[in-house]
Amino acid sequence: MVEVVKGAIDAIFAGLPMVAVVVWTLVKIIAITVPLIVAVAFYTLAERKVIGWMQVRRGPVYIGPLALLQPFADTFKMLFKELILPTNASRFLYFLAPVLSLAPAFAAWAVVPFGEGMALADVNAGLLYLLAMTSMGVYGVILAGWASNSKYAFLGAMRSAAQVVSYEIALGFALVGVLAMSGTLNLGAIVDAQKGDAGLLEWFWLPLLPLFLIYFISGVAETNRAPFDVAEGESEIVAGFHVEYGGAAFAVFFLAEYANMILISFLTTIMFMGGWLSPFPASWGLLGEPGPWWLFGKAAFFMFCFLWFRATFPRYRYDQIMRLGWKVFIPITIVWILVAALIVHADLVQVGA
Amino acid sequence: MILSEYLPILLFLAVSTVIGAALLGLGALLGPRRGGAEKLSPYECGFEAFEDARMKFDVRYYLVAILFIIFDLEIAFLFPWALVFDDIGAPALAAMAVFLGILVIGFVYEWKKGALEWE
Amino acid sequence: MTTELALFYAFAAVTVGAALGVITVKNTVHAALLLVLTFFSCACLWLLLRAEFLAIVLVLVYVGAVMVLFLFVVMMLDIKTDSLREGFARYLPVAAVVAGIMLAQMLALIGWNAMLQVPAPESDGATLAGVGNTEWLGRALFTDYILPFEVAAVILTVAIVAAIALTLRRRPGVRHQDPSRQVLVRKEDRLRVVKVATEGKEAGK
Repeated sequence: MVEVVKGAIDAIFAGLPMVAVVVWTLVKIIAITVPLIVAVAFYTLAERKVIGWMQVRRGPVYIGPLALLQPFADTFKMLFKELILPTNASRFLYFLAPVLSLAPAFAAWAVVPFGEGMALADVNAGLLYLLAMTSMGVYGVILAGWASNSKYAFLGAMRSAAQVVSYEIALGFALVGVLAMSGTLNLGAIVDAQKGDAGLLEWFWLPLLPLFLIYFISGVAETNRAPFDVAEGESEIVAGFHVEYGGAAFAVFFLAEYANMILISFLTTIMFMGGWLSPFPASWGLLGEPGPWWLFGKAAFFMFCFLWFRATFPRYRYDQIMRLGWKVFIPITIVWILVAALIVHADLVQVGA
Repeated sequence: MILSEYLPILLFLAVSTVIGAALLGLGALLGPRRGGAEKLSPYECGFEAFEDARMKFDVRYYLVAILFIIFDLEIAFLFPWALVFDDIGAPALAAMAVFLGILVIGFVYEWKKGALEWE
Repeated sequence: MTTELALFYAFAAVTVGAALGVITVKNTVHAALLLVLTFFSCACLWLLLRAEFLAIVLVLVYVGAVMVLFLFVVMMLDIKTDSLREGFARYLPVAAVVAGIMLAQMLALIGWNAMLQVPAPESDGATLAGVGNTEWLGRALFTDYILPFEVAAVILTVAIVAAIALTLRRRPGVRHQDPSRQVLVRKEDRLRVVKVATEGKEAGK
């Protein structure tokens, strides 16, 4: 199938090898973005269902068998709603903000490997690129809050920006720990560094346990999800930075947020949970085989954790959030980076064996 | 070659920008356009918005942003170190221990001064 | 190679155009965003020079952190654009002289000849050493340049102290709640049951 498409593209642009490369890359990009958008759509359905079950409700039931058509109904509803531009808002920035929050959330997927050598851009500095993309997500939030010229939006944007940048430091420090263990910035090589005979005991979550927990929790805070959702806190500041947005513009923010959640789940899996490696030793035959299904399964678990947290924990207060980020996570990560370096220096962990 | 590695990333950035813009355009095309002064006024719990929402803000937020820059730079230094310290060995470990030690002094100062408190 | 050259001209045009926009547009927020675009296309130019690490760090630090602070300041200080633009024509000659001197200095430093020389495409240090760009930089930094690296730590610490000294103000007289103390309050702290002598009918009996 893949060969057929690639052959067809090469045949059409026979005289123009450069164009053929660009078209082939575009096909691959669409092969990543379309499933991603569909995944976001069904993730919203899963969220409502899972939280419903956890609260002994049924969640959505009406549209389609098992409410499977609900995400499509929601999408069409949002597209047919009016795009509101509030008085006093800055028109250009107001509509730029959702695009600026979506672009990095999607573009980060360019370096994510889905299996052995299955990454769109297998760059050397993949990890660095991911960190740079995450740091750009804050622009959408700040601009949305400022361009709306609404008090709640502004308050939400300020809260969110300060929270996001604080947790980004913890996120970055945790990645340095992974880097120290694996000795490479390439995401595929990081997974390879977690290979070994002992299955899941070889993965980085064990030697880097504090960093693993901090990475995932910071990821939840970075995406402004419950219990760190004070930026949206509907009972305090209605919906935070996107209070004025409706219809398609809101849908774009929504898409960005959920794409980021799925991204954090995949990255946690790749950095700490062995990516596409099997949790069982290689000697177990078929069960020990590595493959993309392991990656998707593990990522699905972390995606479920996002929903589980939301249904379980009450919202943190803002001063508690800032204290957790600066006074708990950052000191622990600094100490553990040195511990990880000493572990590697003393050859206590066999990397990639 | 580095260029061919980064071309997909550039294309991906372009495609994701187009997707965002296309969704907005679709919404503008399909959605109705029935404005009105009340509908388009910024949300303020039913009150009339009585002043510009862009107000001066607590200086604490600027402090967080400045501290973020400093720690971000620290991360930028840590990345190449984490790649090579195992090859270089003890001198690199000592160098980073001193580097982090100096910065921890700044961090402790920040903590003791109460710059990390939100009230 | 032609693609690379075409990309160079494209990014260079965006860089120059955006940089011109920074100093000419009226809206300060737009100017800040154009500065973001300038940094971003600069990063792309550095990438074309195979400076992978520096290019991404430029995005990470300048776009992701420094410009966020810029935006904070520009948005919140509510700078009046008209008063700022008044002196534009008056300061133009001075600015031209300063820019001219800077250009001359840079040319003297880099050397006219070095600009005319075209380096071979794969002649950067990392490619010659056969390692990744970041790794190569790390080796250089932690073997030959350890002292400047430690000095950087001192500078960063001074920056932390300076930022706190300049911005941290304890405003006296501000009342604020301490929510954790409020939550921890017990009945005994607030409520006192007092025995009061009974009055009325019973007392009168």
